Amino acid sequence: MLGTFLYLTRCTIKNRVRRRLQRLREPRYLVGLVVGLAYMYLMVFRRSGRPRPGGGGLAVMSQFAAPAEFVGSVLLLAAAALAWLWPAAGAPLAFSRAEVQFFFQAPVTRRELVHYKLLRSQLGILFGSAIATIVMRPSTMSGGWTLLVGLWLLLMTVRLHLMGVALTRRSLVEYGRSALARHWAPLAVVLGGLGLLASTVIGDWSTLAALPDASGVFHELQRLGTTGAAAIVLWPFRALVRVPLSMSTAEFLAALPAALALLALNYAWVIRADAAFEEASAEHAEQRAQERRSPRPIARGAMAAPFRLAPAGPPETAILWKNLILVGRYLSLRTLLRLLPILVVFGIIAQSGAGRGISAFLATLCLPLAGMAVLLGPQMMRNDLRQDLSNLAMLKTWPVRGAALIRGEVLAPVAVVTAAAWLFILTAAVLFGALPLTDRTAGAIMANRVSYTLAALAVAPALILSQTVVQNALAVLFPAWVVSAGSRARGIDAMGQRLLMLAGNLLALALSVLPAAVVAGVVAFGVYTVTGAVPILVPAVILAAVVAAECWVATELLGRVLDRTDVTAIEPVE
Amino acid sequence: MIDVQHLTKVYGTFKAVDAFSVHVAPGEVVGLIGPNGAGKTSTLRCIVGIQAPSAGRITVGGRDIVADAVEAKRRLAFMADEPQLFEYLTVMEHLRLTGRLYRVTNVESRARTLLDELQLTGKEHALPAELSRGMKQKVAIACGLLHEPAAMLFDEPLTGLDPLGIRHMKETIVSRGRNGAAIIVSSHLLHLVEEICTRIVIIDHGRKIADGTLAELKALPGLAAAGSSLEQIFLTATAREP
Repeated sequence: MLGTFLYLTRCTIKNRVRRRLQRLREPRYLVGLVVGLAYMYLMVFRRSGRPRPGGGGLAVMSQFAAPAEFVGSVLLLAAAALAWLWPAAGAPLAFSRAEVQFFFQAPVTRRELVHYKLLRSQLGILFGSAIATIVMRPSTMSGGWTLLVGLWLLLMTVRLHLMGVALTRRSLVEYGRSALARHWAPLAVVLGGLGLLASTVIGDWSTLAALPDASGVFHELQRLGTTGAAAIVLWPFRALVRVPLSMSTAEFLAALPAALALLALNYAWVIRADAAFEEASAEHAEQRAQERRSPRPIARGAMAAPFRLAPAGPPETAILWKNLILVGRYLSLRTLLRLLPILVVFGIIAQSGAGRGISAFLATLCLPLAGMAVLLGPQMMRNDLRQDLSNLAMLKTWPVRGAALIRGEVLAPVAVVTAAAWLFILTAAVLFGALPLTDRTAGAIMANRVSYTLAALAVAPALILSQTVVQNALAVLFPAWVVSAGSRARGIDAMGQRLLMLAGNLLALALSVLPAAVVAGVVAFGVYTVTGAVPILVPAVILAAVVAAECWVATELLGRVLDRTDVTAIEPVE
Repeated sequence: MIDVQHLTKVYGTFKAVDAFSVHVAPGEVVGLIGPNGAGKTSTLRCIVGIQAPSAGRITVGGRDIVADAVEAKRRLAFMADEPQLFEYLTVMEHLRLTGRLYRVTNVESRARTLLDELQLTGKEHALPAELSRGMKQKVAIACGLLHEPAAMLFDEPLTGLDPLGIRHMKETIVSRGRNGAAIIVSSHLLHLVEEICTRIVIIDHGRKIADGTLAELKALPGLAAAGSSLEQIFLTATAREP
């Protein structure tokens, strides 16, 4: 049967490559490929080709080999423990619908199906290991090979282990107590290991608590992890991490037998699993196909409407209402409101002066999060025309002007992303207020904290709106380039397309903000000339108002294009 | 050939199939009809081994689909209502893959015959994306017929086919039945069932409520007054019509 699976893999690769080459006849793919290749060359190959003092990433890592080995082993242990305690949703083994149709009804044994999944996973694991090896830049050819093999061993063992956990869990669900009797050994090992680690840390708690800084705590934890019972628990994870971290061929060969033994052990465990995964896998394949077909998340139940839709009113409100219902399927206002108590609790902690460490940490975390929400949120939150492109034929039957349609479509992502950005800005403002600041500039900013906060609250939605309109403009003007949620564009050309879209988005953002910034700057200068005070809030509000006006004009112009758009001209991405 | 004994399939607390039994002998073409959600697809998926029965026993050619799955599946073919093909496999490669899975020795000649029979000649090197819905359906059916199964299950076999394709599909099913295959056809197209099936099984709420030839169904108590067409019998049996 292995030959059959190899035949399928070989044909799939051959036809996929042929198809990718054929589609380069279309400019959008050719341009995407050129940009993607240029990016790869500049970011990966050119960097890796350049000689670096000290012999590359691995040589740098050699200075931190022991801590890296410790951290790596703890991370692997955490991943293994999480797999047991917090299983991934879905089936133990993921199959496509075609695989379900062809293999599940064919005379193929369960063990052969597991082998097939392992075979198919090799492509991804080998590719991932190769890319990581290029990025790590080993200084010698033998170093490259040992790193590649070590990473493959590590990833393959992790893959096998996760597969084993999923199959064991499935078996426990299926057979209950009798399965527990069969699988008691791995379960006991996991629980016993975690218990030993916990007792080691608890036993040493007084020493850990007395240490003055994080570095001391780390070194003490490292000492605990390499001595006594904890060292035994962490040994398999360390044995795996040691292979890719080997600094010489001799070290690699010394570390190899233990890692190979672990790989073999996990393989034997997976192969001996007796879970009947077919039904869960078939169901999962149906679910995934449905999610892929539908540009929006599949509803798991009836969702509450975000607000009561009046029988009459502007069409934009109705479209906002529709899109917010769909947002609610994965993010509801209630979810956001649940964050409010956390904000209140941290605010109280900050004001009381206790736990300043946490306050400082959260405050500094919230600022980049607010920035990310403003700059990346509009690209991530695609609950607008980008997702509705597949429904454009239906949308165009509505008695609604194109401009109103676009405005309605952009409102939902703007509302959600703005809510997130405001939450981060407010949290940062509250927490920073309680921090003692010694820096003079920071002190000056904190003196006008309320003004800066209000200014940020005014500017954030304008920037979000501007980018969302740009994203939707790209969907209207270049629909073939927009990746809808239902499509699965992959490859270097698709990466190049996305890079071009990102560059276009940033350029359009700069162009839209520039006139608004000029107007706001002129007004601010006027206020300063008259009063002698530097205004903060006024220019921010003016900037936001000008950007909003620009967006209004843009949607009017885009609406005319949308009204003329022929839906049959919109081709799927792939 | 296909023997289903007291099949029960439960999803959580919902009983989709409830103690369903049916026997399909070689040469028989049995029509499985029922309203939406009656349990037809669950029954077919259990027979083919994609879903595990919650209770009951299914054998194909005397082989248990759970205990002796590989041997039972070797005798079986399931043509699903929605054809699922590998995105990057051509028509011919699908047939070769199927041939290897079922250990068919003369794949090339069998494939040529089936491609001719299903009007797929000339499409051997086409990928699924280049085929219409009906053609994909034909490819899936060609794959199902390649190993000359003794038992066949068709779930809505006419979906997406053009009139000529419908005629050929009906001929394909009937000829396979005449050649001794045990066939179950699940469909909402009652005229199709009436035309090609030698026996009809009506299922509702997971239970078998009628089983027999059209003449036998007409003679059943409670259905005698329903009328002469299968549609009238079906609506009366499932209480969709007073």
